[in-house]
Amino acid sequence: MSDETLDVLIAVYLIPDLAKEDFDALVKLIEDKTVASDGVVLVHKDADGVVHVSETGDHLGRKGVKVGGGVGLVLGLFAPPLLAATAVGGAVGGLVGKFARKRVAAGIGDKMDDALPPGSAGLISVYDHANADIVDKTLANAIRTSTAQIDNASAEELKAGLEQAGSGLAG
Amino acid sequence: MPAEPIDRTVLPIRRPPFGGAVKRTLAGSVPDWNQAMHVQPPEGAPNVLLVLVDDAGFGNPSTFGGAISTPNYTRMANDGLRYNRFHVTAVCSPTRAALLTGRNQHRVGYGLVSEFSGPFPGYNATIPRDCATLPRILQENGYMTGAFGKWHLTPDNQQGAAGPFNRWPTGLGFDYFWGFLGGEAGQYDPLITENQKTIGVPSGSDDKPYYFPDDMADKTIEWLHRIRSQDSQTPWFAYVATGCSHAPHHVPREWSDKYRGRFDEGWDVMREQTFARQKELGVVPTGTELTDRDEAFESWDSLDETNRRLYARQMEIYAGYSENCDWNIGRIIDAVEAMGELDNTVVIWIWGDNGASMEGTLTGTFNEMTTLNGIPLTAEQQMGLIFKHGGLEAWGGELMEPHYSCGWALASNTPFQWGKQVASHLGGTRNPMVVRYPTAVTDPGGLRSHFTHVIDIAPTVLELAGIPHPTQVDGIEQEPLHGFTFADSLSSASAPERHTQQYFEAVGNRAMYKDGWWLAQRIPRIPWQLDPEVLRKFGAGWDPDTDPAELYYLPDDFSQANDLADQYPEKVAELQALFWEEAERYNVLPLLGGLSSFYGIVPPIPNESKFTYRGPMENIAAGVIPHIYNHSYTISADLIVPEGGAEGVIVAAFDHLGGFGLFVQDGKLIHHYSMLGVLEYTQESDRPLPSGDVTVEMVFAADAPKPATGGEVTLLVNGKRVGGGRMENTVPARFSGYAGMDIGCDNGLVVHRSYADKAPFRFTGTIKHVVFDIDPDLSEADAQTLNEHAAQALAAHGANA
Repeated sequence: MSDETLDVLIAVYLIPDLAKEDFDALVKLIEDKTVASDGVVLVHKDADGVVHVSETGDHLGRKGVKVGGGVGLVLGLFAPPLLAATAVGGAVGGLVGKFARKRVAAGIGDKMDDALPPGSAGLISVYDHANADIVDKTLANAIRTSTAQIDNASAEELKAGLEQAGSGLAG
Repeated sequence: MPAEPIDRTVLPIRRPPFGGAVKRTLAGSVPDWNQAMHVQPPEGAPNVLLVLVDDAGFGNPSTFGGAISTPNYTRMANDGLRYNRFHVTAVCSPTRAALLTGRNQHRVGYGLVSEFSGPFPGYNATIPRDCATLPRILQENGYMTGAFGKWHLTPDNQQGAAGPFNRWPTGLGFDYFWGFLGGEAGQYDPLITENQKTIGVPSGSDDKPYYFPDDMADKTIEWLHRIRSQDSQTPWFAYVATGCSHAPHHVPREWSDKYRGRFDEGWDVMREQTFARQKELGVVPTGTELTDRDEAFESWDSLDETNRRLYARQMEIYAGYSENCDWNIGRIIDAVEAMGELDNTVVIWIWGDNGASMEGTLTGTFNEMTTLNGIPLTAEQQMGLIFKHGGLEAWGGELMEPHYSCGWALASNTPFQWGKQVASHLGGTRNPMVVRYPTAVTDPGGLRSHFTHVIDIAPTVLELAGIPHPTQVDGIEQEPLHGFTFADSLSSASAPERHTQQYFEAVGNRAMYKDGWWLAQRIPRIPWQLDPEVLRKFGAGWDPDTDPAELYYLPDDFSQANDLADQYPEKVAELQALFWEEAERYNVLPLLGGLSSFYGIVPPIPNESKFTYRGPMENIAAGVIPHIYNHSYTISADLIVPEGGAEGVIVAAFDHLGGFGLFVQDGKLIHHYSMLGVLEYTQESDRPLPSGDVTVEMVFAADAPKPATGGEVTLLVNGKRVGGGRMENTVPARFSGYAGMDIGCDNGLVVHRSYADKAPFRFTGTIKHVVFDIDPDLSEADAQTLNEHAAQALAAHGANA
């Protein structure tokens, strides 16, 4: 991780496949190294309330360097009860990277699970604050976004940032 | 029955003179069995099934080219007749009043709706005794009469146990009523009234939620079976007024899912497609033009993808809701057929009491009450609240009370302009009607284009039944019917058109029709705007004749697409003058009489400020729940809490999308207040409730007596403060259009979802009484100000109901 200020962003969507469009667009920016990101995750709760982690972007790692096995940020962001409901639940363990483990400690997964109504989606990303404008424009289909800034990607900072961002979605 | 003809012009029909002889004993006495007989309708009088759908447009049912599948409506039309120039009043109660009395709505006190009894004859929401209703006339002539579904003709503040009951359905000519008294109901959680008692919110079964439209059909069928088990001969009159398709738009997913993706191309395309089908079916004449979309409505192309998807789902729900309505009416018709009576039944089925409703505003809304409380929400706010209340999948479900975007309403009213409330244009006033009566109809599947109006139903039914309109009822001279029979049009497309002149007025929007010409004067107000700022311009200094005038010649212009006002100024002037004559004759004046509270004419300050509920009491109707709005108030309760504690609801009013409750959970006293599901406040005691005799209080100290005031809540137990908190905004006008209040439990949708799985969450201790004290020690000036606001709120709600 760099020493730059990071943005923690939560975006919520009424229409899951539009969330996927935004997710894909953001991942492409990360692949193109236009956006420096520590990861992006998309979570979709289907009409029956079953949670699906549709895609992950953590495999890209920072600045496009591919690290880990592809589910790091997801595993980090979502606590075991939620993961158990996902297709990748059984993959916990060896695939968890260092950064992801910090996010596990942050324990915000259940909150996201509770926050998503059936038939909706949420996207969480951590990226350099300098990329804020382009990320904002990329997530055009979100019905609400909220960001918080943190100084580093420690579990504590991340937890505080996500809580702050989450509170910005209320009302 | 007596040999001589019965005089049916004076009601009730007098018992015939005794034709026998009476001696001191039975020996030698001559009986006359006519003394023990009841009046029978004329020989051959048919049954009548009158169906009225709510808040729907000319372009909704597939029977008239719409996108919503209505096979039962089509079946009736193919066996009977489509009427494509049938008209209503543009607002709910007024259409019902006109339908059931055969008189113009203002003449019977219904210039606006039953929520607001105003101080002028045309707006007092009180059907006068010199205008006896059609069901009363049929009842007095021997018919068995039943009403099912929506009523909306009992003033709001008369819907409680104290009545009075003479404007309830059973006071206006129905032997039996089952349904809801107000202007709307949740289809999953209606507060049901049967005859003269509000009996509660039904529960579902087999893990399925209760669904009102299904039950309404069942109850209608059950009534038909029950009366026929006793009396196989006497004709019946069944008035079935559906809650569909008024908001909240509620329907199980198996109905709405049929329409997945069907509206993805948007309302502009839906208009075009509907119009094409209408031309193909011939329900609009060749040469008809599709009217332009007014700039008040958004174009579909201007919307982003999220909005398009959201709005498309709104229409899918509405369509499924409407198709279910058709299915349920079809079940009633099937039952009549199975009884062998369909061919002796006049089926009159009107698809809409007014045009489709635009009260969802541009965005549609997760909770229709936000609009009615004057709380504008942006598209972003709406989407956030939809997300909060269950997401798009919850639209149409039990936990939301939604209304679609006005764009869909416009499309529903294809090919016309505007919609509900807008009496100046056909979008608000022209609705489909189908009549089936094989005895009279000689060309099944035919089309009739006679100018007909809702006040024509009563004279037509009376003619088909062979019953004269009475000159006297209960000793009171009767106002002649204002409508005209169209009975002969059933058998002849060339029957004369009798209804050649008709005024229209609703919320200031007005029209004058005469001999094909139609003058339209819409007040310059978007129909979903009712805030004081907008209405102020129609106060002092307003000259209605300066409102923009449009002129149409309907024989050449079915849809009102070509404004001829500039070409025929003399015709405009002539029709304007005629409108004022008619307006004076039928109590339309003063214009906006139903909104008089917005212009300084407010009702007397109520003298009831303390309401005591002794012991548990359930299903208190919305209109008679204490008005806690916009000022300080106290709710207190004297309880007996058993050793070991108690839990459950002390008082709960309305539901989680607007409501308040005081309850005990986990030993703590909790007050919860939902500001229409937009904001929510909860205060909790800091200690468990003691056992024994306990007095609990919730005191709301308002910042100021003003609309939507904030204030401080204090919870007290035996006089000691145990908790509290601030409520920044409160509901200014009305929590719910239909939900009720319970003491000792929470029926229907609950106020606080934390105890939903324990609903109705009955209080396990004893409630001695609950007292509402809504006298906030106001100054006279403040009291007057609040009273004015309360009256405005009722009027505004009424305009939209």
